[in-house]
Amino acid sequence: MKAPHELREIAGWLAATDIALLELRMPGGRVRLGWRDGAVTVLGDEAVPLAAADTFTVTAPSVGVFLPAHPAHPADRGSVAPLARVGARVEAGQALGLLQVGVLLLPVPAPRAGVVAALRARAGAAVGYGTPLVDLRPL
Amino acid sequence: MIEVLSNAALATVQDLGRLGNLRFGVGTAGAMDDLALAAGNLLLGNAPGAAGIEIPVFPFRVRFVEDCAFALTGADCAAKLDTQPLLPWWSHQARAGQVLTLGPPQGQARASRALLCLPGGVDVPEVLGSRSTQMRGAFGGHEGRALRQGDLLRAAAPRRACRTGFGVVPPAFALPSPGSADRLALRVLPAAEYLGFAATSRAAFWAGRWRITAQSDRYGYRLAGEALQAAAPMELRSHGIVPGVIQVPHNGQPIIQMRDAQPSGGYPKFGTVIEADLWRLGQAPIGSHIHFVETTWDDAVAALEEKQAWLARVGRMVALHRGDTAQGAA
Repeated sequence: MKAPHELREIAGWLAATDIALLELRMPGGRVRLGWRDGAVTVLGDEAVPLAAADTFTVTAPSVGVFLPAHPAHPADRGSVAPLARVGARVEAGQALGLLQVGVLLLPVPAPRAGVVAALRARAGAAVGYGTPLVDLRPL
Repeated sequence: MIEVLSNAALATVQDLGRLGNLRFGVGTAGAMDDLALAAGNLLLGNAPGAAGIEIPVFPFRVRFVEDCAFALTGADCAAKLDTQPLLPWWSHQARAGQVLTLGPPQGQARASRALLCLPGGVDVPEVLGSRSTQMRGAFGGHEGRALRQGDLLRAAAPRRACRTGFGVVPPAFALPSPGSADRLALRVLPAAEYLGFAATSRAAFWAGRWRITAQSDRYGYRLAGEALQAAAPMELRSHGIVPGVIQVPHNGQPIIQMRDAQPSGGYPKFGTVIEADLWRLGQAPIGSHIHFVETTWDDAVAALEEKQAWLARVGRMVALHRGDTAQGAA
């Protein structure tokens, strides 16, 4: 973990940017720094909207634009066929959605098998590392 | 190595074409959708012009004889690896023994040909500077012919470490076009004999909706619509023609020369579909309708630059994602 003076230094750097949230993941745990009451400070985990107790949240593995369906997928009653529907069973490794980064499309894989409990991100939303995308209920 | 399991009617090995040999009477051949071939190659870290397999008839099935990465682009064919559905315009990893099945094209982008790319390209001999199948001369590609059940094809670099499991946004959704999702419009430059056609016919050409008839293939697309009349009979000697040239024979129904076109012809040339739009035309299915939009030399060059810029972006972004240090993309 970082020492308090190191965190203060990082908070000072962060204050000079328009970055809203910085999450440091280290072997000893994680630290979240962000704005509160006009200053950059260490935030608790309450800043993250938590998934319901029996589910876990799949977060964005990259910066990108969240797409719940492939752009080329056939029209399905006026909307494109989503990769993961609420209530659908998904296998480990299956794409729950895509992140578009420029011309690239990157998958958001399910870390384990489960049932889709909720979609947390809007289609077309710009997301960052760790943005909650999909809630899964493990099988 | 892959083994062709289906009666792969008309599936051929193609690269970007056998350029520079028209003067010897050798046509260009090459992928009907060059953008799909180049993008599929870039997804695997290949040079954009490596040889791939163009598949126009479905279902198409191949078995992977060994572990091998592959990329699928072009028509979205509800592809499956064994029973697992695969995303289109995507790089995948197959294990030895798995079977890839491509079904009939689906989706909003009306496309008719799928492209299958392998690491390093399909390993067939280069003939006159290209690995494309030259059907008329029965050389190039795999034994100078379309693929058949039981054919074995090698990837040039089957064991190269290859990051897979990502894709690109298909160019139909990325590149500007005068058409729309339900209206394919192709940009055309008027050609040498354009003014030899009656003014009413010239107007009808641009206003008309042209059907791609069943007498259409890699050699050329025969269109059906209002017959185009010459103002006075034209007698021409045979002269050089290239893919994209729109000829009008005596019956007034235009023929667009495609990749397997012969290098010369004698019919009057009405116009030329610009090079930047040939990939869209190459994907247009038989029975679909097309429209023509008049363009200028400058706009045609700009459109080509847009297409090349898209490919360059794909090459850059894929190389960054794959973590390549040396990159084959031009």
